Amino acid sequence: MNANTSRQSPAERGEDSTLLSRTARDLPPGRHQFHKERLMAQIHQEERTTAPAAAPAPAPARAWWLRLPRPAITLPVTAAVVAASVVAVVLTSGREAGDPGLADGPVLTTTVGAASTKGVPQLLDRISLAAADASHPEVKPGQFVYVESRTAGTYLKTVDDKTTLASHALHRRQVWMSPDGTRGWLIDPAVNDGPEGETLSLPDEQGNTPEADLNGPSYDYLARLTTDPDALLAKIYKETEGQGNSPDQQAFTTVGDLLGESYPPAELYSALFRTAAKIPGVVVVQDAVDAAGRTGVAVARLDEASGQREEWIFDRKTYRFLGERTVQVEKRTGEDALIKPGTVTFTSAVMERAIVDAIKQTP
Amino acid sequence: MEVSTHLRTRVRAGDPTAFAELFDSCAKAVYNHAFRLTADWSTAEDVMASTFMEAWRLRDRVDPEGGSLRPWLLGIATNTARNQYRSNRRYRAAANAAAAAELSVPDHAEEVAGRVDDRRLLARALTALAGLRRPEREVVALCLGEGLDYEAAAEALGIPAGTVASRLSRARGKLRALTRDAPTGPAAGTGAGTARKISRGKREGDRPGRQTRDDHAPVVRPAQGGNR
Repeated sequence: MNANTSRQSPAERGEDSTLLSRTARDLPPGRHQFHKERLMAQIHQEERTTAPAAAPAPAPARAWWLRLPRPAITLPVTAAVVAASVVAVVLTSGREAGDPGLADGPVLTTTVGAASTKGVPQLLDRISLAAADASHPEVKPGQFVYVESRTAGTYLKTVDDKTTLASHALHRRQVWMSPDGTRGWLIDPAVNDGPEGETLSLPDEQGNTPEADLNGPSYDYLARLTTDPDALLAKIYKETEGQGNSPDQQAFTTVGDLLGESYPPAELYSALFRTAAKIPGVVVVQDAVDAAGRTGVAVARLDEASGQREEWIFDRKTYRFLGERTVQVEKRTGEDALIKPGTVTFTSAVMERAIVDAIKQTP
Repeated sequence: MEVSTHLRTRVRAGDPTAFAELFDSCAKAVYNHAFRLTADWSTAEDVMASTFMEAWRLRDRVDPEGGSLRPWLLGIATNTARNQYRSNRRYRAAANAAAAAELSVPDHAEEVAGRVDDRRLLARALTALAGLRRPEREVVALCLGEGLDYEAAAEALGIPAGTVASRLSRARGKLRALTRDAPTGPAAGTGAGTARKISRGKREGDRPGRQTRDDHAPVVRPAQGGNR
């Protein structure tokens, strides 16, 4: 196009355009015109019905624009009502089998537990205290944070205009990561091409230290994070602005991601829960099951836009973090209706966290 | 595609024909960009449609001065796709499934070799994109997929150009690692000349051979020279 930078050498553009060369194509026949006409119709309709709105804060695309043909209605379905609907297990055909090395699994379902706002601060307080008690070892340079989990997921897959539910069967996932986040290894048959796994190391051609951030934190980054819940929450809101379906949900998800596949210092670990307690809309779900089949109590939040609830599951007695999962609790329309209430779209149980001395070494 | 300040003025003023022109000139770019961020052509179509509607809503924030509106649209598309793929693991799952689907289509004897290679290249691209973190993938899609320069990508993402540069550099290193062991299909056009100069141990990989492959070149070169 007309905007190639002078600072990218032609050689680099060449190699890179080869990599992405097949990711460009025309819209399917007739779709360009179809969308253009619909856009014009919507513009004309909006012109008639509303004065040009002084657009509010620099918000990114709203979730309700995502699926334009559908009315933007949030169904006032409570979790309790949804819980009554039992969802059959759907088996996808293995014909277009998933990744090499991992068979498609059955679509995971669960009964949707009732959510309550009662006791949220108390529960998170206990969890936070338990987390502060636990001893988290320090990671020395040259060592690696090892996290082993069991995980599975369900997602929509579209092949030739046909969208179906597909799932990754429950499988083991192992991650090694150096404290500075520059060296790592991943073994996850849902991601890897081969059984040996793949590198997560980051050779930087300029010798720059790769920047860790909230979306991709290294151990060192976590160790430096503030443990003041208010400051941490403010930082999360600021740095995730414009991401996700809503600021509150994105904050919750960000904290969840920091819990899931990491081994933060105990002080921060504890602070994460006190931070979560300050996010509006957090609920308690009494009955939740992690990917390893362990039951517990969950701290959760419903994403209004997707109708999915993210649940962090804790041992009922020790308040130890067991794992997290995402459950469809509200019915959606269109293609998203394929993901019925009760479907577990993602689940991950932490089986082991340790500090080891080398990549591919297990405790 | 040359967009004048005149078009910017008309877009700001909410002239519907300006949006029609914008759609004609940029729909494909937005669609392709959305695909790279969602790994799904039909989702990409939804994101594309939403992007233009959102652009209409945000029209009064367009700077009257400036060049092409494409970076602006691609930025809106990036946000829209982000909402669709909140978490990286969802993207990974979809991208890897799509890659597998491309590869699992049975090779019919009548399917020409080029078509088979197209599928492999697409699968490779998706697998590579899935190996990136979201912020890296967005920069890769903008700079390598749509050919934006750092300033334009920075404008699209609302981040400093220096951040774009460092993310892209980091992503390149990752892409190199992710695609290191496998050769590509015939390197078409621009890539072949340069890439062929590089000799690497594994360029003729262990892929089951069916058709002649005499023109292979690695997707990425080993580290050398910065892009700054």
